[in-house]
Amino acid sequence: MNLKRRAAIVRAIVAKDLREFSRDRLWMVLTPIMLIFYVGIFWLLPNSVDETITVGIYGRGLDAVAEEALQSDAVATEQALRVVPFESADALEAAVVDGTEVEGDDGKNTVPVGIAFPDDLTAALAAGEPATVTIYVDAAVPAEVQTAMSAFVREATYAMAGMDLPVTQPQQQLVVIGEDRAGNQVSPQDRLRPLLAIMILLVESMALAGLVAVEIQSRTAQAVVVTPATTGDLLTAKGVTGTLLAFSQTVLLLLLIGAFGFEPLLLLVAVLLGAVMMAGVGMLAGSAGRDFMTTIFISVVFIVPLAVPAIAALFPGVASSWVQLLPTYGFIETIVGVTAYGWSWSDSSVYLLISAAWCVVIFAAGWFILRRRVEAL
Amino acid sequence: MTQSTPVASMTVDAGSAAHTAAAVSAEELSFSYGETEAVRGISFEIAPAEIFGFLGPNGAGKTTTIKMLTGQLRPKGGSVRIMGRDVGRDDPVTQAQIGVCFEEKNLYDAMSGEENLRFFASLFEVDGVDTDALLQRVGLADRAGDRVGSYSKGMRQRLMVARALVNQPSVLFLDEPTDGLDPVSSKAIRAVIREEAERGAAVLLTTHDMWEADELSHRVAFINEGRIYAIDTPENLKLQHGERSVKVRRRDGAGVHEVSVALDDPGAGDELRKAVQAEGLMTIHTEESTLENIFVEMTGRALEA
Repeated sequence: MNLKRRAAIVRAIVAKDLREFSRDRLWMVLTPIMLIFYVGIFWLLPNSVDETITVGIYGRGLDAVAEEALQSDAVATEQALRVVPFESADALEAAVVDGTEVEGDDGKNTVPVGIAFPDDLTAALAAGEPATVTIYVDAAVPAEVQTAMSAFVREATYAMAGMDLPVTQPQQQLVVIGEDRAGNQVSPQDRLRPLLAIMILLVESMALAGLVAVEIQSRTAQAVVVTPATTGDLLTAKGVTGTLLAFSQTVLLLLLIGAFGFEPLLLLVAVLLGAVMMAGVGMLAGSAGRDFMTTIFISVVFIVPLAVPAIAALFPGVASSWVQLLPTYGFIETIVGVTAYGWSWSDSSVYLLISAAWCVVIFAAGWFILRRRVEAL
Repeated sequence: MTQSTPVASMTVDAGSAAHTAAAVSAEELSFSYGETEAVRGISFEIAPAEIFGFLGPNGAGKTTTIKMLTGQLRPKGGSVRIMGRDVGRDDPVTQAQIGVCFEEKNLYDAMSGEENLRFFASLFEVDGVDTDALLQRVGLADRAGDRVGSYSKGMRQRLMVARALVNQPSVLFLDEPTDGLDPVSSKAIRAVIREEAERGAAVLLTTHDMWEADELSHRVAFINEGRIYAIDTPENLKLQHGERSVKVRRRDGAGVHEVSVALDDPGAGDELRKAVQAEGLMTIHTEESTLENIFVEMTGRALEA
């Protein structure tokens, strides 16, 4: 039987699968709701990162001098600073430690850094005695900012007294959340984008798993393979259906969240690889499922590890190197790279190759397992 | 009870149908599920236009045999030919010539009856299939557009039969086609089976209903524990293995009396004459053995077991 005939049979099975999908109330309700929900969340998030750091200052008569010195230092460190004066050192410490918002020139802001000059600073400087300036730093403040603050205090006091003063930091644990992307920050929208894409892909893999499970459990697959349609035709059709569902809806989502601004073809290739991978996952989960609930449960078992690279992208710096071993890592890196950093084909080539390799492995595994299930009917 | 020895290979004259080239030919067919031998070297042929009843209890090997005949299972031994062509798994040429009605009602519930038929017709590359006529034949024309999920068990069974006919198959495999149907629907399906045989299709019919097998089949095969015990026409089986008798009932002052006269006994004529001439004759019934009785006699196992 020629290839044209085989293609016609596969097309007929795909059309049948899509018709069944379109009549499944669960997916027909879930899919648009999910799209609207995801797109809504995306556009509610800020599309830029506020790099301005609010610095609280306490020091009698020193506010103006300190602000001037701070701003000149901020230029040197490429860090935008806003200065908020405090009435007492205790109030400043409380604001930094509690993370409460204080009123400044441009609205309310938290104060992650505070500098408290001692009340006797001027007298001490005049007497040539040492004085202690305390810097309060929130754990989330990058280490480079803390270093800059220390340098600033030294400069400021040197300007006032003509001598260095010892600068101490209170004991606070330094924990930087996420990868330090100073000067190259990724906006919350950019960080969320790959997670939304992978969630759509994974949900559509569950839709395919449902279709496959029904075909196996109701033994309609058996009826199909005693016609001129071969087992290979049936499996090809399932792969095409799963890929179509996952690819089309992920592309739609990415369009709605404005992801196609740079290298759209590259992004489409990445999504296609992800969709083929998810079709393999759907075939695996559908083959193993005994009913709707077990199919969903098995799908979730796959979903959790496959979503980890996207979660790592959402919170840069939390993930360890083992994340790179997960099948969706290459796909996520490509999405992040293309949409957030404007990666080219050459930048993405390694990750596309990783994705393609995983595609082959997972799709082949899904094909093999599903074939065995169909042949055992 | 005397049990028969299984028949390893048998060629039987089935009347006019058996004289033409076989539509289905199974030779020394065997299959095992692990250590369990499901089919043990069975052989038979089905001619075009012949209805071949395949009778046996659950677990006898009927479904496994059908799976081998339709290319779903590869035999562990022996060979199968459909319309003169060796059957292999995924052989589109052979499968284009067969129609299968499974015991399980494996239909697409989310699609209508008509859509189910059109989908399977597209797999057979049948353009412009007359779904209305097919559904009319099985009495489902008025439910053509309804989703199969809303069909009753009997309606689903009738749609299964219609589906098996979308490609006008040369060989029709029907696994319990009237199971669960009401008498009117069963009669309609039996009419369809006869029509298909008259069209020239070879029909392999499995059923638990011995009356149905007797009524429809040109020949029947008794299968049990993977072996065929007999292949013949129902009439020959009944003649060879049954006990012909006449039962005479009469009433007198003491009540109703019944006399059974075995026709094959010497002196049966005199005994029958005496019984009929006695006073108070009520009824006379001829009796012959049923296929079920013969099956039990030959295999030592009831069909419904």
